[in-house]
Amino acid sequence: MQKLSERDIRALKIGAVGAVAIIVFVIGSKWIDHWAAARSSLEQVKAKLELIDIDKAKQAGLLSIVPVIEMPQKAETQTLLFRNKLNEQLKKAGINNEPLQVIAGSKTTRAGYKLVRLKCSAKCRFTQLLDLLAGLNENPYLVGIEELRMRCDPQKPQEVEMDLTVSTFVK
Amino acid sequence: MSSIEHSTFKKPSAVHSMACAIAMSQEESGLKAVEVTKLADTLEVLWAKSSRENDTNWRLFAAECGLSVGLAVLGTPYGEQQKTDGDKTTVIGFSSTGVAFYHIGLPAAKESEIKAMVGMQAETLLPLPVEQMELAWRAGRVRNGQVAVTVAAAKKENLQRFVENVRGLNPARIILDCEGAVAAWKELFYGDAKDAVVVNLTARSTQVCLAENGRLSNAIVLDMGLKDFENKDEPKHAEATERFIFDVKSALEAFGYAEAVNLPIYVLSDGSSTLKGIVACLKSAGLNVKAALPQIQKVRAQTDFGAEQLYEYRVPIGLALMALETRADGFALFDSLYRPAGTKEKKAILHSPKIAGVIAAIMLAAFIIVSYVIVVKLPGAIEERLQTTDSSTDIDLLMQRQNLMRLVAMERPNLLELIKQISESGDRSIKLESFHFKKGRLVSITGQVENPDQLYKFQEALMSKSGVKDVKILNPSRDSKTKKLKFTMTFRYKNFTNKGTRT
Repeated sequence: MQKLSERDIRALKIGAVGAVAIIVFVIGSKWIDHWAAARSSLEQVKAKLELIDIDKAKQAGLLSIVPVIEMPQKAETQTLLFRNKLNEQLKKAGINNEPLQVIAGSKTTRAGYKLVRLKCSAKCRFTQLLDLLAGLNENPYLVGIEELRMRCDPQKPQEVEMDLTVSTFVK
Repeated sequence: MSSIEHSTFKKPSAVHSMACAIAMSQEESGLKAVEVTKLADTLEVLWAKSSRENDTNWRLFAAECGLSVGLAVLGTPYGEQQKTDGDKTTVIGFSSTGVAFYHIGLPAAKESEIKAMVGMQAETLLPLPVEQMELAWRAGRVRNGQVAVTVAAAKKENLQRFVENVRGLNPARIILDCEGAVAAWKELFYGDAKDAVVVNLTARSTQVCLAENGRLSNAIVLDMGLKDFENKDEPKHAEATERFIFDVKSALEAFGYAEAVNLPIYVLSDGSSTLKGIVACLKSAGLNVKAALPQIQKVRAQTDFGAEQLYEYRVPIGLALMALETRADGFALFDSLYRPAGTKEKKAILHSPKIAGVIAAIMLAAFIIVSYVIVVKLPGAIEERLQTTDSSTDIDLLMQRQNLMRLVAMERPNLLELIKQISESGDRSIKLESFHFKKGRLVSITGQVENPDQLYKFQEALMSKSGVKDVKILNPSRDSKTKKLKFTMTFRYKNFTNKGTRT
């Protein structure tokens, strides 16, 4: 077999370097794309972490207003759950209420959720109403009090008529 | 035309396996070269050769000596040259005429620290800016915490020019020729004194070398030589003798031995009448002078190589002896200017392109791995960790829940607190009849009071409560039956009563 000349060896070396360069380029360009995607993913996760990793004092304040919360479900399920829990709370407060009325939800959405309201009418003692209001935050489906109307007879100041409308989010 | 003295002979076969040194030096008359090898205490001179009168072409002379040196000039790589020369070490002597010696005392310290101190001290001593000079130093004895340092300095330009002249010979080292003279005295001229002054005369100059511990410590070159003493004119001869004595004494003074009359002075001599006369005149001046004659019995040669030849070739032989020594302790004046071909410059590890390349590759790999872990693996790892911490935890769900909590908190008025604030604002005489809160509308309360003052106080107190704004009294009227003042009061409560809060 004939020996390779210096020129042949040089040509082979240059060819090898070129081949390596091509491979590096192909792999490198794919890798850079992957890298960019990975960086984007990292940024998203960091943004998510920032959202959930909030100041302890702020979180404590938030928990005092919203001690429990359940993620909203479909309208039918959520309304049922909300109604049952509210009914339970009314009973716990000793309020003998009229049947709860579901008021149609608004068309507009908040953060992708629709609002469903429940209206409760009852005659009760003022203290019972206060008990109910104090415990309402424990309802994990409650969004807030939309309306509260109460009237009392000056002759019987401890008895009130109330109309309470509360809301919940549904998907 | 030719004044070549040439003693060539076949080398004994044993010599082939021994280290040989070829040394070349320059004198006023031309170039001289020897090849020697050493067997125990016996020096074997393989050949000795002088160039033509006043011929100072190093390459040509090397070629005449039968050396392969100079092949590089003709395009042969130095590696080939080294193969041809086998195990011979070539050294070149550099004339000490342009070299100045300085003695400085420094605190005993590490070598690197001494180097730095020498650099700083030399700046104040040198006649030229330090960038134009080349320095070499050697630490001597330590006395009372002080180390005596000898600094040899020469003009860089001269050294560079010399290097260019001899580069083609590819010498292993370039050594000061006065070091060769001292080495020759020590080995072959009865140089048994610890400290001495060695006087080496040539035709037109004289090297006065201070040797301490058998090593060159200082040197001064006088511009007088043997020719000055060969003058037949008596007054001129006497004048030359006087001047020579004066110069030697001045040199001793410069060496710091002016008062040390016992310091032996050795005049390298071949026993000629001129040198005998010089020794005699120095003795007459009260100096401790001896003639140092060659020890020819220490030298072996196959051809006619006697004391006369040993004296004549004393400097190249001394240089060759230094080359054969494993310990190279000469003044390394040429270290930064010349490096023999085929030897690699000692570089800091990071200066090596290969090492630097490997380190760079490792760093790059480490960077990629770390980046990969951080950028590619971290998001998944965070989510995985959250999920393993609590099986119900999902980062998206957590985020949604957090958003929901914030949204709900904004939707949730604290009516219990509001009722409490209203109750605290009025005294017992105020009878409230109704309370109405609806998102997006003003809060309204109705009731009755005894007199307007109570109503106003109630209004003011309510206005002071946090979250309550714009408290207004609407339609106050006196009830004809009860005679009490009926009122309706409206106000804003936080953001919940703003229009658009709820549609």
